[in-house]
Amino acid sequence: MVTTNHEVQAGAATAAVASLPQKRYYRQRAHSNPIADHSFNYPARPEDVDWRALYPRISLGQEVQFADIGCGYGGFLVTLGEMFPEKFSIGMEIRVKVSDYVIDRISALRLRHEGAFQNIACLRTNAMKYLPNYFRKGQLEKMFFLYPDPHFKRCKHKWRIINQALLSEYAYVLRSGGLVYTMTDVEDLHKWIVTHMTEHPLYERLGDDEAAQDPITPKLYQSSEEGAKVVRNKGEHFLAIFRRI
Amino acid sequence: MVTIFYAEPELVIGLNRKILFLNPNDLQIFKEIELSKDLTTCGLKSADEPPPAANDTNETTITSDEKAAAAASGNAGGAVVEVSIQQVCYSPDRQFLALTTAGQKALLLYKSRPEHAKLLSVRSLARASSALAFASDSSSVLVADKTGDCYQYDCCDVEATPRMLFGHLSIVYDILWTPDQGHIITCDRDDKIRVTNYPATYDIHSYCLGHKEFVSSLGLLQERDLISVSGDKTLRVWNYIEGKQLLEHELPAPAVRLQMDALEGGKRYQLAILFYDHSDALGLYDLERSADQSWSVVSERFVRADAGSWNFSNFAIADNRIYVAGATDERLSLRVYNRNDGEAATSVPAGWLDMVHEQFSEDVCIPEDLSVWFKKRYDNISEYMERKKRRIEDKQQKC
Repeated sequence: MVTTNHEVQAGAATAAVASLPQKRYYRQRAHSNPIADHSFNYPARPEDVDWRALYPRISLGQEVQFADIGCGYGGFLVTLGEMFPEKFSIGMEIRVKVSDYVIDRISALRLRHEGAFQNIACLRTNAMKYLPNYFRKGQLEKMFFLYPDPHFKRCKHKWRIINQALLSEYAYVLRSGGLVYTMTDVEDLHKWIVTHMTEHPLYERLGDDEAAQDPITPKLYQSSEEGAKVVRNKGEHFLAIFRRI
Repeated sequence: MVTIFYAEPELVIGLNRKILFLNPNDLQIFKEIELSKDLTTCGLKSADEPPPAANDTNETTITSDEKAAAAASGNAGGAVVEVSIQQVCYSPDRQFLALTTAGQKALLLYKSRPEHAKLLSVRSLARASSALAFASDSSSVLVADKTGDCYQYDCCDVEATPRMLFGHLSIVYDILWTPDQGHIITCDRDDKIRVTNYPATYDIHSYCLGHKEFVSSLGLLQERDLISVSGDKTLRVWNYIEGKQLLEHELPAPAVRLQMDALEGGKRYQLAILFYDHSDALGLYDLERSADQSWSVVSERFVRADAGSWNFSNFAIADNRIYVAGATDERLSLRVYNRNDGEAATSVPAGWLDMVHEQFSEDVCIPEDLSVWFKKRYDNISEYMERKKRRIEDKQQKC
């Protein structure tokens, strides 16, 4: 895995190079209340976003097209950046320490690999509330929902990142033909996601063949930390990809 | 919560379980609605109450009779909340009147007649409502609840299951349904105005973004043009089809309610805006569209309405008078001012205000606390960042 390679290099690197952040300082419980007020600074409108602060080398006319919602420790985000050097990817994470880890990780990666990792960045934000503040209608080409918080309790279903109301919001920021990738190790959540996305008139599920042929698919099984854990534990994964009609 | 609005020729005032339809120029009460203390007696299905928790062992100690008694006496440690009216709204054709209640959460639909209102249906709501609006053809009514979900209820087939149309992630303060019924426009506590297609409500047409606090009220100007007021102390005009801002005008204080009158249809409007916690209770703004189609505020005036000396939370405008509703000593207090000069109105018929106050003299009136509309920003970062800084400094010292 590419990410691991960087971490191996990190050990060998001299002290002069910024060290990669150590995850033990950034541990945080997995759950967050997405409905509550938080002290987020969010732009009023997509035009107000200072993308230059996130991607110092982004040029006029370039924009973010991939969004990893709830990017966790950013493993998959880094993979995305490497797989798609021409595309700008954003990771959105609500947890303070976790998003800070990703931000530090990307800074360190940029320092060690001159010119690389300029196309990924992480934002601490509540994607359930502020997507339209960051992206205009039809801006995104791909969205990723990997190992989302299952919020098992029924009364917390509105907190799930995939729910009927939010699917319309995702459809708004996705361009027609754009793809939504979902992955979970919780079968019930997988069924819930498939039911809601299939019911929604603006999405259709990709067939198994088409999903298998997507070059991203194998990466989804390895890239995220959650995914790696599931692989170690020999657990099951449930992948579903949907197209914005 | 006091409801007040003017629907010519009636001034409608609702509080707790009662609504009066008053003639503002005469000591005449056109009609009156008084809700039952227990809405199950007039058709609310008690089955809609939350199902008892299967494994709640505490339940076994209370018999159902005891619970019923507690409910009837209404003093079960404050557990029983009295039925109280939240929103009231006439259908555009004036054939229907819809109202929502808290306590027992319900949507009540009435057939409206000049002399009385006939209750057609009582439908339970899952959550307390925050906004209410009819379709322009009066065939259905929209109810937004406190969690931001918006449901459509049919006016003819009152048994039909409500249709969940869409959801916001925070409370919806106002709903507009365009006259062509092609779009539903909603605004919420998260600074957003959302334009949803209808009937394809799964498809968001646009957002009108720019406000930096809750958006409290919306008004339709003409085709495609929309006005909004917000806690960020601005009023804004939008082309809602494109989600484009056409005008931003500063207000002296956060805006919590908006009433609007077309002075010259499509071209000139008077806006009356209720301010939050300001030395003037209201602002009156004349908004005009010039020949090049741009909007501008051509005049502004303020109405003090004794702001600071009493609690008020709502108002209505009828002809030349402004009716401000609030509370004094936990009883309804209505004060009337002239629209043209903002002074206490002298043209109100003698005894009219006393009559209104008398009608509600038994009702406890506590003005809505509008401070909760503002976001409470709590800092969950500084402490973490401070610890991190120390950790890095420690490490550097060791090296």
